[in-house]
Amino acid sequence: MSSCGNPAAEEQALMPRRLKFGNSKDCVRCRLKPGNIVIRHAVYCKECFTPIVDMKFRKVLEPSVNARVGTSKRPKLKASGNLCLGFSGGLGSSILLDIVHNTYFSGRTPLDDSGKPRGGTNHPRNASVWPSCIVCYVEACGAFAGMQDRTEDIRSVVERYPSFDFVPLRIEDAFDGSWWTKVSGLKSTPQVWLELSKEGLLTDDLHVASQVTGLTPVEAMRSYLSSLPTQTAISSALQNLARVLILHTAHSRGSSHLLFGTSLTSLSISLLSSISQGGGYTIREELQEEWAPVAASGSKPSNVLRVIRPLRDVTAKECAVYAWWNNISVIGRDKQRRAIIGIVALTKNFVVGLEKDYPSTVSTIARTCEKLEPKDAPSGQCRLCKRPMQSAIQEWKGRISIRSYSDDKLAADLAHIPSPCRGNLDTSIPSQVPPILALTDFLCYSCHTTLTSRSSRGVKQPAPGVSSATPLPIWVADRGLYEDGLMGDGARRKIPEEEMLDTVAEFLIDNQDCEE
Amino acid sequence: MAGTMMIKIVFSGGLELLFGNERNQSVLIPPFVPSDNSTHSSLSSSSESSTPSSYNDTPSTGETKAADLEYLIYHLRDHLLKERPELFMENGTIRPGILVLINNTDWELEGEGSYQLCNNDEIVFISTLHGG
Repeated sequence: MSSCGNPAAEEQALMPRRLKFGNSKDCVRCRLKPGNIVIRHAVYCKECFTPIVDMKFRKVLEPSVNARVGTSKRPKLKASGNLCLGFSGGLGSSILLDIVHNTYFSGRTPLDDSGKPRGGTNHPRNASVWPSCIVCYVEACGAFAGMQDRTEDIRSVVERYPSFDFVPLRIEDAFDGSWWTKVSGLKSTPQVWLELSKEGLLTDDLHVASQVTGLTPVEAMRSYLSSLPTQTAISSALQNLARVLILHTAHSRGSSHLLFGTSLTSLSISLLSSISQGGGYTIREELQEEWAPVAASGSKPSNVLRVIRPLRDVTAKECAVYAWWNNISVIGRDKQRRAIIGIVALTKNFVVGLEKDYPSTVSTIARTCEKLEPKDAPSGQCRLCKRPMQSAIQEWKGRISIRSYSDDKLAADLAHIPSPCRGNLDTSIPSQVPPILALTDFLCYSCHTTLTSRSSRGVKQPAPGVSSATPLPIWVADRGLYEDGLMGDGARRKIPEEEMLDTVAEFLIDNQDCEE
Repeated sequence: MAGTMMIKIVFSGGLELLFGNERNQSVLIPPFVPSDNSTHSSLSSSSESSTPSSYNDTPSTGETKAADLEYLIYHLRDHLLKERPELFMENGTIRPGILVLINNTDWELEGEGSYQLCNNDEIVFISTLHGG
């Protein structure tokens, strides 16, 4: 109970606690049985609950299954490619596997008298929605010392579903040329390295460094993670690595759909934390996206992969009860992985606490974000996170923030700040390195900020044996880096459209002249 | 001892990691417990595989109340929890993100912490914090 009156005037001015359900404890659906679970103020019995979750799942997924929206109200579901499921061993993805298997792969085709599928195995009715299904798991134990490898535990879960093929990945594959060759078909891709500052962190301008060789994928990944300035950046980088690894794997296996087991609660957490890390431009992609690797200039665009979160209307509480009542075992995550701190963990605490007292508010977060969309068309795909990139980010960033204190007066004003806390304030003269060697223009606002924005609570202590450069994930160099002038002699760079127009402006014929 | 209640406890969704990785446990609770949920006059508990042993005593001084779920939560924290109590309890109740089922029914339908325990009740604690 909380006070809602003037305690000096009224002694018992307590606000009555709102009931978590209506007047009746009976199921609101069948109205016959006593309820077993309260979902956003509505009471359901155990028998009615499971079909409701299944229905919510199908309602989100099925409109996106067919490549084209037909005129039929109940179109026959037929996907244009295979299915890929992202599996973490957590609650949502465990349910995802179970529902997908039971709904689309359990072989419940009607049988004739002889026990064969009615109409023959080639009858359209007996064809599965997806020809095959793979389950991708990304093992992240390489990122933290002492973390247990759980690939075999996960394999044993996936093997319970005979229709699914297990595809184990490792987080360090993001730095492994042989994995990249397998998924992209490219023979050799140079790895991009970035210069580090004296503290072992990435510099604000993200200068490309000359290649240093001799690191294993695990060492390369640890070097990359240790060069990140904050815990939030590390947690966000790991999430991005896992996501892009799965995206490329799904695409290389001919998948038309990639499903994640993100519940409504997890979705609200990721939406809020993404926005607070500068990812507002890609808010639609956080909900649902159509993804394809950017093709090199002149080549044919490849098939589009639809990334869908079919549990996005199902709360974490519903997931937990569904798993319990349907005997779905949840492995959970390693303790060290769960102990990751940063903006994501803070947002999670906030949203989970909110859901307990105000369960409807969590869905409001997702519903509100569904209505948002960016004003401008994207200018390309971010090299690091592979999501759409806003145009003219650096110009805008330059306008909204002070990024260097080269002025003598400002530098003098900062003298009172202790030097460890001054690390993120650049008081030096701006670097004279030509911009054509910087990666900055190829990253989205969120990735650039994550890589370079240092903690306001002081600079991270440099790790012993800090090197002068750190490798980036192998896909950063996936297409024409020479075309973009990022690598090589630096003289061949992509010319911005405006600059190109300026160059040829005097040769252009005005539209009005044509009409005359 | 006559009058004690045996309560079956199940931890799921990763919560068992806080309780020595024992998913199924059982505890003996007296019918009346201290109103302030003090559990120093402790009862013993055991895992599902063995028989629960008897408790030591019932509260001899101070106000008492009928044993309820709120008391059981304090009891679990003080006697079964192996590590990090802040991941199990917060502000005198279960931490947000942990779902409680009393005999397969949401504890919100049963009055949450004020639910009066009965002999052979099954209380399930499921963590929902393991994400997607």
